[in-house]
Amino acid sequence: MTNKIIKWIDYRFPLSSLIKHELTGYPVPRNLSYWWNFGFLALFVLILQVATGLFLAMHYKPDAAIAFDSIQHIMREVNYGWLLRYMHSTGASAFFLVIYIHMARTLYYGSYRAPRELMWWTGQGLLLLLMATAFMGYLLPWGQMSFWGATVITNLFRATPFIGDEVVVWLRGDYAVGDDTLTRFFALHYLFPFLIIGAVVVHLVALHTVKSSNPSGIDLADKDNIPFHPYYTSKDFFGMGIFLIAYFIVVFFFPHSVLEPANNIPANPMITPDHIVPEWYFLPFYAILRSVPNAVGGVVAMGLSVIIFAFMPFLDRSRIPGGGRYRPVYRIMFFIFMLDILLLGYIGYVPATDQTITIGQVATLYYFLSFLLLPFISKAEDMWLFRRGLPSNILALIASEEEEKRIRR
Amino acid sequence: MTEADDLENKGRRSFLLKATSVVGGTGAAAACYPFVASMNPSAELLAKANTEVDLSGIPEKGMHTVAWQGKPVFVLHRSEDQIKAMAASEGGLFPEQDKDRVKQPEWLVVIGVCTHMGCVPNKEGPGWTCHCHGSQYDDSGRVLRGPAPGNLEVPPYRFISANRIKIGEV
Amino acid sequence: MNKFIASVMLYCTVFTVSASEVKLEKFQVDTSVLAVERGVDTFMEVCHGCHSLKYVFYRDLAALGISRDRIAEWRGDSTLEAAMTSLISDETAILSFGAVPPDLSMMVAARVGGNSYLYAYLTGYYLTSDGEISNHVFPLTKMPDALDISSASDSARRSELQGKAHDIVSFLSWAADPHKAERERMGYYVIGYLILLSVLLYNVKLEVWSRLKT
Repeated sequence: MTNKIIKWIDYRFPLSSLIKHELTGYPVPRNLSYWWNFGFLALFVLILQVATGLFLAMHYKPDAAIAFDSIQHIMREVNYGWLLRYMHSTGASAFFLVIYIHMARTLYYGSYRAPRELMWWTGQGLLLLLMATAFMGYLLPWGQMSFWGATVITNLFRATPFIGDEVVVWLRGDYAVGDDTLTRFFALHYLFPFLIIGAVVVHLVALHTVKSSNPSGIDLADKDNIPFHPYYTSKDFFGMGIFLIAYFIVVFFFPHSVLEPANNIPANPMITPDHIVPEWYFLPFYAILRSVPNAVGGVVAMGLSVIIFAFMPFLDRSRIPGGGRYRPVYRIMFFIFMLDILLLGYIGYVPATDQTITIGQVATLYYFLSFLLLPFISKAEDMWLFRRGLPSNILALIASEEEEKRIRR
Repeated sequence: MTEADDLENKGRRSFLLKATSVVGGTGAAAACYPFVASMNPSAELLAKANTEVDLSGIPEKGMHTVAWQGKPVFVLHRSEDQIKAMAASEGGLFPEQDKDRVKQPEWLVVIGVCTHMGCVPNKEGPGWTCHCHGSQYDDSGRVLRGPAPGNLEVPPYRFISANRIKIGEV
Repeated sequence: MNKFIASVMLYCTVFTVSASEVKLEKFQVDTSVLAVERGVDTFMEVCHGCHSLKYVFYRDLAALGISRDRIAEWRGDSTLEAAMTSLISDETAILSFGAVPPDLSMMVAARVGGNSYLYAYLTGYYLTSDGEISNHVFPLTKMPDALDISSASDSARRSELQGKAHDIVSFLSWAADPHKAERERMGYYVIGYLILLSVLLYNVKLEVWSRLKT
């Protein structure tokens, strides 16, 4: 019976062939490590956030006078409201953790290189959409941190040349963050995840065009690909099981670890909390913002620190594939860069003192130098590795890639 | 590997897949429960599930309308002749004994929502008239004529004292 | 790889740094029904005059298991469905204390150190050398010494008042997070299930991948 229905659909819609071509039979390199699970995990967390967000929206009131009360109502009165809320707040942090690991994997293995530049850039776009969504979502509980975080960040737009003040008022809908800001942020926070879903589709279309990279950095022969189902479906589901354990340990036992105490106090425009901090996933960028003493300069630096990742395909001038795997200098740079980001995160969290500001400035400088010096360092490393001697198959691969580039030009 | 091993492997594999599907499927189904449950009335609405009515202020032949679970409830204080009239008849389209619809004959408690399309009928002379489509009810809430498919619903209620009823509990 | 993990762990330990100046002893809160009941009793006696709990309803206490009679004693004229509002108006409070006593529904969650902070605060009142009453934890507080612990001279009296503070904080801890017990109970079941499921999923993965010819 089901076969007949499927045949009826297949005549009118490429259902079976789509499923076979893009899902079950889709060729994937056989040597992917567990670092390749995080794309699927990101999609799963997206679905989780949309589902919990939808059900929360059935009870939440986007009005400044009663928003905080509606969160209390959800936490105390709505059946399993506390569970929905904690899943959503933990899910936001989980989303960023998964995405940052996903990005780290891409950077380490050089998966952003040709022909995967568009994957990297659609990924960048996704990151920006996610950051906007998270920022707007954080205002919704209308706690002290929500209010003041939104005030500080919307203030940054004052850096816009000539029309700075007007832009800030336009964004807020009022002279200060208020009810108008809250209502529009709610509308946008509800919308953006669906834009993210659209962008994920584009991201996956790009993926299916160039196929997955793999830990060796060299595209494998066709015979070394295996079908997505059952190999990577089973591996992804197992990875999801492990993820869910960690996720639900936080949801059920440590939900407050991602919630600032100050946000349990209703927003008060007259009193600023001692210590305004964004959520952990924004801390490194916040530190970069505060490192530059000039207001406009700080905003520019912060914006650049996110956008600069997009230039990676052009900044990395090495011909050797595989990223950190076969390039010792790049590998060291990668790990120190990771440590630098952690340091920046710490600086973003602690109150600003002369000491922390100086450390922050050094860390910011190193952050940008890592990108700006990469063209020179990668070229130098390239020449060193060639002089040291490379395996013949790598040389052959590089030679054939150069030949191809020459022909295409 | 021998054929016996291979068959055993197939058996083991299919058992493993079945077991995992069952465990996973159960979990996925159970995970839906909090979402669905969150849509049910929350704690403070369940607290408002009962309404208490003080009957002492309602004169004979008088009617009081109270809110119960968001709906109007008619509390009618019936006189002797009203009770006699209702006891004498079995109603109109859906015959029912008046004594089956009351706990104490002088107090009629019915949900003031027309069983046809949900409009609130008006008290007019004996009984009620629904002005939406013309259904007519008697002083026992029984439908006499019109498109209404049933008599006015009697909610669960009980007397908690001589002059107080609690609607929502039996 | 290991470097990465080590640095992540280092990063995480940083967040356990407490922001308060005073050394807070670890406070063991007791959220059993009896402790909460004692806590409400003490709260109504010591705090309710000025502080409200606008997100906690008297019926929540009934749902927890406290008897309706006891609740009736506490709620006075308020109905069972009402919130635990204080007896003092905002205007009177400002006249008497210079500030409106904050609502306590979320106070345990709103302070870094939570239970430990509140307990230290309540028991932190002392007599300065000038004979004034001050508080170790929050010197600028406008709240008077409600437990009168600053005048407790002997250790027996002091212990008794510490016990009262303990009960109040236990109640406030429940009030800030009434679903905590249910949440943790459910958590054990969910994690247990997920561990079982992950073991099964791992075996499925191994089984599937064993079919791959090298």
